[in-house]
Amino acid sequence: MNSVDASEHYELGATDLSPSLLTVIIDTNPHAWALLENSLPFSKAVANILVFINAHLACNYANEVAVVASHSQKAAWLYPSQNAPTNLANADQDGDVQMNGNTPTPQTNKYRPFRIVEEQVTRNLKDLIDSTTGDDLRSNMSTMLAGALTLALSNINRRTIAWAEEHGGAALEDAAAEGGASGGGGGGGVAAAPNRYSASNEDERLQSRILIVSVSGSSDSAHQYIPIMNSIFACQRLHIPIDVCKLSGDAVFLQQASDATKGVYMALSEPRGLLQYLMMAFLPDQRSRRHLVLPTRVDVDFRAACFCHRKVVDVGFVCSICLSIFCEPPPGGDCMTCGTHLDVGDYHARPALLPRKKKKKKRVNGASGAGTPISTPTPGP
Amino acid sequence: MASATSRPLEYLEGLSGTTFYKLYKQPSTALAIFRRMLPDLAKCFVMALLYLKDPLPTADLEIWVNTESKKQRDNALSILGRLHILSTTRTGDNVRAYMVTDPFATSLRQALMGAEDSQSFGVFSRGPGETQTSIADLDEYARRQWEGVMGYMVGTSAFGGQRDMVNLSKGVKQLLQAGHLVEIRGSRVDITKDGFGFVLQDVNTQVWHILILYVQSAEAIGMDSVEVLSFLFLLSSLELGASYEKKHLTPNQLRTLTDLADFGIVYQEDPDAPCFYPTRLATTLTSDSSALSNPVTGSLTGPAGQTGGSGSGFIIIETNYRLYAYTSSPLQISLISLFTNLKYRFPNLVTGKITRQSVRRAIEMGITADQVISYLLSHAHPQLRKHNAAHGTSNAKGVQASVLPPTVTDQIRLWQLERDRLRATAGFLFKDFTSLAEYSAPCQYAAEIGVLVWKSEKKRMFFVTRHEQVAAFLRSQKGGGK
Repeated sequence: MNSVDASEHYELGATDLSPSLLTVIIDTNPHAWALLENSLPFSKAVANILVFINAHLACNYANEVAVVASHSQKAAWLYPSQNAPTNLANADQDGDVQMNGNTPTPQTNKYRPFRIVEEQVTRNLKDLIDSTTGDDLRSNMSTMLAGALTLALSNINRRTIAWAEEHGGAALEDAAAEGGASGGGGGGGVAAAPNRYSASNEDERLQSRILIVSVSGSSDSAHQYIPIMNSIFACQRLHIPIDVCKLSGDAVFLQQASDATKGVYMALSEPRGLLQYLMMAFLPDQRSRRHLVLPTRVDVDFRAACFCHRKVVDVGFVCSICLSIFCEPPPGGDCMTCGTHLDVGDYHARPALLPRKKKKKKRVNGASGAGTPISTPTPGP
Repeated sequence: MASATSRPLEYLEGLSGTTFYKLYKQPSTALAIFRRMLPDLAKCFVMALLYLKDPLPTADLEIWVNTESKKQRDNALSILGRLHILSTTRTGDNVRAYMVTDPFATSLRQALMGAEDSQSFGVFSRGPGETQTSIADLDEYARRQWEGVMGYMVGTSAFGGQRDMVNLSKGVKQLLQAGHLVEIRGSRVDITKDGFGFVLQDVNTQVWHILILYVQSAEAIGMDSVEVLSFLFLLSSLELGASYEKKHLTPNQLRTLTDLADFGIVYQEDPDAPCFYPTRLATTLTSDSSALSNPVTGSLTGPAGQTGGSGSGFIIIETNYRLYAYTSSPLQISLISLFTNLKYRFPNLVTGKITRQSVRRAIEMGITADQVISYLLSHAHPQLRKHNAAHGTSNAKGVQASVLPPTVTDQIRLWQLERDRLRATAGFLFKDFTSLAEYSAPCQYAAEIGVLVWKSEKKRMFFVTRHEQVAAFLRSQKGGGK
C-alpha cells in the first residue's frame, strides 16, 4: 500500500551501488623491511596483501584496484602498469612471475582478474627491486611516500572522472558549465565543481580510498613534510579516506593523515597476523563503514616538521603571515617561505620569564618605565 | 536492484542443505554466490571471519556493528544463515559464536589464493581459435540470439518484417512454455502475464530468470541440478573474448552448453568444436546491473550498428508524458507500445505519449507499474540522465536526483493503484499471544530481520513472510524464560 509514497522514486537511483577503487601504497623501503625479516618477510607480506586485494575485487564485479610502491628513491606503479603486455598469453610466458622460490601456480585455477593483478604486481615489484642498486640504498634510507600519494591521487582523480563520464549520471562538468552560463546561480558554477566529490551524490560516484602499508619510521619522511601534508589535505577535501596499516615504527604524519581523512589507523602489534588485520579492519568500503565500529586512534600525534631543517618539533615558531613552521627563529627575522620580516627580537626573553615572575610588581613598574609601545598597560592578574 | 538479486536468491534459499554442500565445493560457485547474493555488510562479515581460526563470539560481532545499524546487521546475518554460509556453534566455554561453514570457507579461500588442482575457473583453449572471434562478434551474436528469444515471445515477426528471424531451437520454446512465459496454441504463440513482466526487465534479470527456469527443468529431465548450477556459476567467472576447452566438462554440462548457446549466453562455432566462448551475457552474470548496463544493453537493445559511445539508453521522457525513443529495433518498439500510445514513427525515432488509457491497458495485461518504470529507467537516454544530474546538484539537497520525471513515475503508480487495490503476500500469521509483552518481542524481532509484513497491536497478531527464524526466536525466548 505504501508503494506510492512520495519518497520511493528517490530511492530507485540509490539502489545501484557504485563500485569502489582501492589504492594500495606499499612502502618497499628495503631498510625497514630488513628489520622486519624475522617476524614478517617481505614476500609473505606481499602475498597477504595480494589476497586482500583479491578479496576486495571479489566484493563487487566492478571494483577496481591500483597498487603503488613507495620505494627508497622513487615511487612506482605496480598495478595497473603502462608497459604491461596486454596479450594474455605473453604474461604467462615471460616466466618471471615466480618470486622467492614459489612455483608459478598452474594458470587455469584462478579467477582471471585475480591472476592479472597478481602477475603484474609481482613482476613489477621484481623489476623494481632488481633495478635498485647498492648505491641507491646507501644514499637513501627513507621512502618516497609523498610521490606515491600523489600518484595515487592523480589516478583516483582520473578514474573518478572517467567513471562519471561512462555512467552519464554524473557528468557534472557540463552541469557546472550550464549553471555558470545561465548566470542566475551566482556562485553556482564554483560550488558545483567540487561537488563531483561532495556528499550530495555520495553513493553515485566511484568510492575511492587509499591504504598505506607503512614500515618506515617517521623521522625518515620528515623531509617530505610539506608534500605529504598537501596530499593529505587534498584527500580530506575529496573525501578520500587514507587507511594506514603500520607494521613497524610509528609515523607521525600518517596518524594525522588518517585522522584528517577519517580513515582507519592501526599499528599492528603482531605483524604476522597482517592478513587478518587487513580483512577485518581495512576491507569494508565506505558504505559498509557506516555500519561498523572502526578502529581509529584517539591520541593522534599532531606534531609537525619545521620548514627549515625538516625536524619534527613539539613547539616551534610560526610565521604569522604564511603559517610556516620553524624550529628556531629564522635568520635575520625574515620568514624563509614568504620573506616577510618578523619581529622576533623579544624571543630571547622566554627563558627569562621565570625569574621575572617572582618579582611581578616590580616588573609592571619597570615595564612602563621602559617605554613599551603598548599604550594601555596590561591589567594585572 | 532488489528485483535483480531476489529471484536467484529465492531459488537458492529453497535448496536443501546437501545441495549447498555440493555446490560450495566449487571455488567459482562460492565466489559467485559471495559476490552476487550478499549485501555489503554480509560480505564484510564473511571476509572478516574467513581467515579466523576460532569462531567469533556473537557478542564480539555485535560490538563491531554500530548500534544504529542493528537492522542491517540482522538482515545480513539472516541471509548468510539462509544460504548456509554462516553457522553458529559454541566455543569451549559455551559462548555462542559464528563461523563460516566449511565447504564454503575452503572454496572461497581457494578462490582468493588459487588452488592447486581444481578446474573451477575454466581451462583456456590456447589454440589458434583464440583470435578468431572478436568481442564485437560475440556481442553481436549474443544480441541477435537474445533479441530472437524476446522477439519470439512478443511476436515481432508480425511487426517488422525485415528482420532476419533467428531460428530458435525446440528446447528454447519448450523452456519458455514450461516457465509459463508463453503459451503455445497450435502455431500461435501468446505471451502470458509473466512473460510481459519478463520482457520489461533488464537483461541481467532476464538471464537469471531463464537460467533458473533452466535449472528447474533440468531437474525434471533428470540432470543433476548441482552440476548445472555450478556450471552456470563457472560461466559467470570466465573471461570475455577468450575461448575455453570443452574436454574437461561432464556430458551433462556439455548438454547445458548447447542449450545455452541457443540463448546467446555462450557461443560455439559448431556443436562439435573443441572450445566455446562465453558472451557478455554470461560474464556479467555476477555483476551488478550498473556494471553491465552500458556494454550489454548498449549492444543488446540499442539500434544495431550504433553501439559504442558513452550512452546506452535511447528513451527520453518529458514531464508532459511525451516519450521519444531513438530506436529502430522492432522489439523495442513493440515493447514500448505495450504501455504507450505511439504516434509517429521515423527511421530512427518513434514518439508517443503515456496516457492513463495506455497504462491501464498495460496493467490489464499483467504488467506492473514498477516494471514499466524500471524499463524506462534502465533505458533512459544519457541526455535525460545528464539533465537530472545537473538538476540534482543545483538544488544541492540530500535528495537523490531521479532520472525520470517524478510526476510521470508517480502518475504511473497512481494509475496502477486505481485498479490494483489488493496485494497478496504469502506468509505466516502469528496470533493468540497471551500478553502484550509476549507479542511485542517477536514482533520487533521480525521487523528487525525484515520479514514483518503487517502487525496489529490490538489483536496481538502479526504476519511474516518467513517463519523459521521467528519460531526459533520464540523457542529461545521460552527457553530463556524458564
